[in-house]
Amino acid sequence: MAIERGEFPLPDVDDPLVGPFFAAAARGELAITRCAECDRLVWYPASCPVCGAEPIWVAVSGRATLFSWVTVRRPFLPAFADFVPFVTALVALEEDASVRLCTMVPEVDPSVLRADQAMRVVFRPLRFATVPDREVIVPMFVPVESSSNRPPH
Amino acid sequence: MVDTPDWGHAVELDDIAGAVSIVGIGETAFTKASGRTATEIGAEAAERAIADAGLIPDQIDGLTYSGAFAGFGPADFHAHFGTNHELWSSPWGGGMAWAGTAPYLAAKAIAAGDATHVLNVFPVAWATQRAEMTGGPGEVHAQQSLKQNLEVPFGWFPQPIYFATIMQRYMHEYGTTREQFGAVAVTLRDHANRTPGAVFHDKAMSIDDYLAAPMLADPLCLFDSCPISDGGGAYVVTSTERARDLRADPVVVLGVGEGYSATGTHWSQQRAFTSTPQVFAAPHAWRMAGITPADVDVLTCYDPFTVVSLMQLEDMGFCEKGDAGALAQSGALRFDSQQIPYNTHGGLLSHAYVLGIAHVIECVQQLRGSAGAQVAGCEVAAYGGYTGHMASTLVLGRDR
Repeated sequence: MAIERGEFPLPDVDDPLVGPFFAAAARGELAITRCAECDRLVWYPASCPVCGAEPIWVAVSGRATLFSWVTVRRPFLPAFADFVPFVTALVALEEDASVRLCTMVPEVDPSVLRADQAMRVVFRPLRFATVPDREVIVPMFVPVESSSNRPPH
Repeated sequence: MVDTPDWGHAVELDDIAGAVSIVGIGETAFTKASGRTATEIGAEAAERAIADAGLIPDQIDGLTYSGAFAGFGPADFHAHFGTNHELWSSPWGGGMAWAGTAPYLAAKAIAAGDATHVLNVFPVAWATQRAEMTGGPGEVHAQQSLKQNLEVPFGWFPQPIYFATIMQRYMHEYGTTREQFGAVAVTLRDHANRTPGAVFHDKAMSIDDYLAAPMLADPLCLFDSCPISDGGGAYVVTSTERARDLRADPVVVLGVGEGYSATGTHWSQQRAFTSTPQVFAAPHAWRMAGITPADVDVLTCYDPFTVVSLMQLEDMGFCEKGDAGALAQSGALRFDSQQIPYNTHGGLLSHAYVLGIAHVIECVQQLRGSAGAQVAGCEVAAYGGYTGHMASTLVLGRDR
């Protein structure tokens, strides 16, 4: 079974489960799922493991810490061939550090990155040469010291 | 980082200590892309294990195999051997973590009278399949929609990226150095150099080679990561009572443990990020076997990346959390250390990436006294299986 969705590895913004994440990013918001009953953040989107209620999407601050990161040197998918080297990372949200987002850290010298340093969200278009004429706005994270707001390409 | 106890759980297994034994083992050649199918490889491993047990295919009346990875199921068994007898079977065997729990399934089937001689078989043809672009280790993850939408677009894919990220956090938490990760890789290569049949049998590696290797995904370098291989293995399980009538000295199943991470294969969300569910699996196995880690003469663990070795050594209780890097650097993992001889065939890193089946076979070889890097006086051997969301521990011993 190969991946047959033509826009892979762009995210599927029409996916019923995670579409709202990308719709929010297009509005400049970072949105996460929260239990409608007990208010705890539930990530990835799922019914609440504690009370079983369905999740709702809520905007969060976009402040986070750098939990861990990797400088990718070798493209593991052809779509990333013109990205390398790039930094892919997990950030832990300020609202609940057990919620981690997979993200990219754009335009950064990886040697300056430190575990647990403060990060903030930026919204950037994600484009792959293998998926011509398409882009999706996604949340990425930069160190809070950084004033850079340039797009990645 | 506090390991919250609620991040996973152990399965309550029945006590099967001593009930069954491994009486036959079979391995194929371990190679880069061979052009063979998984079914052909599985058939060869099965033939050899059955012959090693001194049995014929008609006497195999139970089969455990991997339902997740097509290869050698009941229909393949009958087609290959030209048999049509009744065959109890379970798709929850094969390799990976299930290479450690298949003997438990066999013990239950044998106790229930459903089978007498149970074959566990696991072939891998990923090197061939990857060359032909029809599959490989990352594919199963890319198929999951949450990963496809929330991880892959950000370049957080596939396994080398997951474990480079775990490695980075592990280094931050415990101060582990590249030289310590390198000590794992170099030790395992030395073991492979002593093991005929290992993919890297003829290729030496020094710590300088490790440190000079290209980075795949900082901090993970080429030699932190296992190759992709073709090859397979199989073993035959029967009651210990029956085993004593067969050709080889029985290798007795002393304990089994099985544990799971609550976040499944979503490593990004695993609460105890630098741990494995061995935290849950191993204590059960030691208890069932009536031993402690100090009683283990040879340990083999599922080791796709160096950090996975260090985490499992800690999580299984061979040292304190964070101390495994220093342990590796001290030489304690070497086959001749008389401490914790570890992956004495070379592991996934240097023997072959056949997903754990060869690790169990190496335990049997060590207990029979026929391993390449033989540990003197090996009485107890253990396998730690790890498949992302699942860990297993299998304790084996010589018949007393």
